[in-house]
Amino acid sequence: MRMADIITAMVLAAVGVLVLADAIRLGFGWTPDGPQAGFFPFLLGLGVVVGCAIVVVQAVQRKGVAKSEKPFIPPKALTPVILVVAPAALMVILTEFIGLYLAAALYLGTYMRLVGHYRWRLVLSLSILVPITTYLVFDKIFLIPMPTGMYGRLLPF
Amino acid sequence: MDILSNLLMGFQVALTPYNLMVAAAGVVLGVLVGVLPGLGGANGCAILIPVTFVMPPTAAVILLSCLYWGALYGGAITSILFNIPGEPWAVAVTFDGYPMAKKGLAGKALSASFMAHFVGAVFGTIMLTFFAPILAAFALRFGPPEVFSVMILTFSAFVGLAGKSPVKTLIATFLGFILAAVGIDIVSGQLRLTYGTVPLMGGFNFIVAVIGLFGLGEIFLTVEEGLKMEGVAARLRWSDVKDVLRAMRTYWRTLLMGSMVGVWMGFKPGGATPASFMAYGFAKAASREKEEFGKGHIAGILAPEAAAHAAGTSAMIPMISLGIPGSPTAAVILGGLMIWGLTPGPMLFKEKPDFVWGLIASTWIGNLFGVIVVLACAPLFARILRAPFSILMPIIIFACAIGAYAVNNRMMDIYYMLVFGIIGYVFKKLDYQMAPMLLALVLGDMAESAMRQSLIMSQGSPWIFFQPPIALPINAVALVIFFWPIISAVRERRKRGRGGPLQPEPGPPAVLPPPVTPAPTSVSGNGDEASVGARTPGDTRRA
Repeated sequence: MRMADIITAMVLAAVGVLVLADAIRLGFGWTPDGPQAGFFPFLLGLGVVVGCAIVVVQAVQRKGVAKSEKPFIPPKALTPVILVVAPAALMVILTEFIGLYLAAALYLGTYMRLVGHYRWRLVLSLSILVPITTYLVFDKIFLIPMPTGMYGRLLPF
Repeated sequence: MDILSNLLMGFQVALTPYNLMVAAAGVVLGVLVGVLPGLGGANGCAILIPVTFVMPPTAAVILLSCLYWGALYGGAITSILFNIPGEPWAVAVTFDGYPMAKKGLAGKALSASFMAHFVGAVFGTIMLTFFAPILAAFALRFGPPEVFSVMILTFSAFVGLAGKSPVKTLIATFLGFILAAVGIDIVSGQLRLTYGTVPLMGGFNFIVAVIGLFGLGEIFLTVEEGLKMEGVAARLRWSDVKDVLRAMRTYWRTLLMGSMVGVWMGFKPGGATPASFMAYGFAKAASREKEEFGKGHIAGILAPEAAAHAAGTSAMIPMISLGIPGSPTAAVILGGLMIWGLTPGPMLFKEKPDFVWGLIASTWIGNLFGVIVVLACAPLFARILRAPFSILMPIIIFACAIGAYAVNNRMMDIYYMLVFGIIGYVFKKLDYQMAPMLLALVLGDMAESAMRQSLIMSQGSPWIFFQPPIALPINAVALVIFFWPIISAVRERRKRGRGGPLQPEPGPPAVLPPPVTPAPTSVSGNGDEASVGARTPGDTRRA
């Protein structure tokens, strides 16, 4: 947990430095017509960097004080978390190619079958019905088209 | 009276068949969203915002606000029957609600919760009806320095009063502002923080951030903790309602206290979650049957639930009158306002009275409708939860992806959503608060232009933020609140120092210690409030 704390603060501090760099490029000074575009981001970046430094110092000081720290992710929980994150990421990437509805159908089906171990009948009916319902609601009733992907245009949806 | 005639006009707007239908749909969807863990008021509203594009703004705001009321009611169902809060603000009710349900009094626990919610809603709505217009009239005198001061006060409240780690809250707030600054600078037209990449030019949309941070992040956490839905069966009988009515007469003081705490906590940003904990703490402290708390005492349900709903409704007061939301969900609704082409702020009352009063009237209607829906259909909604999580979860993620894409029809936003989900997961585990981050993202442009305009007015002098009569007191209060963790730590040390009998009473501390030390000590300081505020949505579940 402490390690994760330090690493996160470092990453955020890096973001702060990036912001500072761009703020300096834009200029954070004062011109006749008011503060320059980088003024506000400069303050923000500075705040983040200073804040993260404090967090890191506090975390380092905590060393030894609390020996029995909880791990950031309990080992037992790692698999289920990955099992949720990875398929969701895959669905998003698939959407680029085959469109959201097809990707969602595949995603729903795969997840329910492989993780949930449900009967094929339930899996198939849900993974087909849910995308079709959302298609009717969004594309047809509210006229909000969903991404069709590169090859998706071959299909009606 | 002016307000009453306006309210009447509002009811004429809200009672048209179309708006009534929208309100009903909002409430039912809200209860559903509230019942499902991982899908809350904030991201429920965010997912629905694209749908509101085809509606007139008044109907749109009615839909979203009624979804909020429904979610406030619905969260309790999961808490009481399954001991898993459907919403962060429903954590406090698990303490007494679940034990009561286990004793076989699930119906009574549910009806107590719903009716306490309704009482809180009535209080919050009364405040919304009568106080918001006064506040808006006052705020009409605000110029850029005052607007910026109010924002400073808002974020100070988050840093000083609601957080385990004030420094991390500050970092999260700054990050929110940074995310808001990405893209084209509205004043100079320059590209900022895009580093020459095209996807960043469009900036970050707060809706995508909400769906990621509050939706996906919450789901990842839920999965990590291995949700098992083992609920208590429930049936609501008319006699339960009558029982509760009788109990409410006994505990009217608790209800009143809960509602007051809620109104105050919702009005000053903090939202429903800390309000419910505070009210629970107060109710327990004031009760003569302290040992009964935690075993299914009805006052332990009434107090936090009234507070949660009062906070939820009164979070709309600063949202509608000042343009500064009091809770994450109110922030999403405020963001919706901007998308529908309205300018949030005190002018709304003058320019769009039908919109404002339609919203206020629909708050009355929505809350009344909500209590009827949950009283009548709670067991029905509970049945949804018996559907296994591995079926619900992918469907929720799919819904999140739709919501994220539909805001701007940008594929990039779905990727952002995923990234925000992981950020949300990490931030929740490490106590970075997400509510101020979201608020900063929504208010970013407004805050920055207010600050720049003020500085132009004063030709660069920051003293403009301390000019009387309005900005000075606001910022003075903001400073006190901001340094509250340190002030309370000092007071604590003094109290401990007073152990020696002849120690002289020291005067108020003239010099504040450097702001590096607060985090570890702040929790012990102002007892309830600090530690209570620390329970942000993430770690609530563990309670």
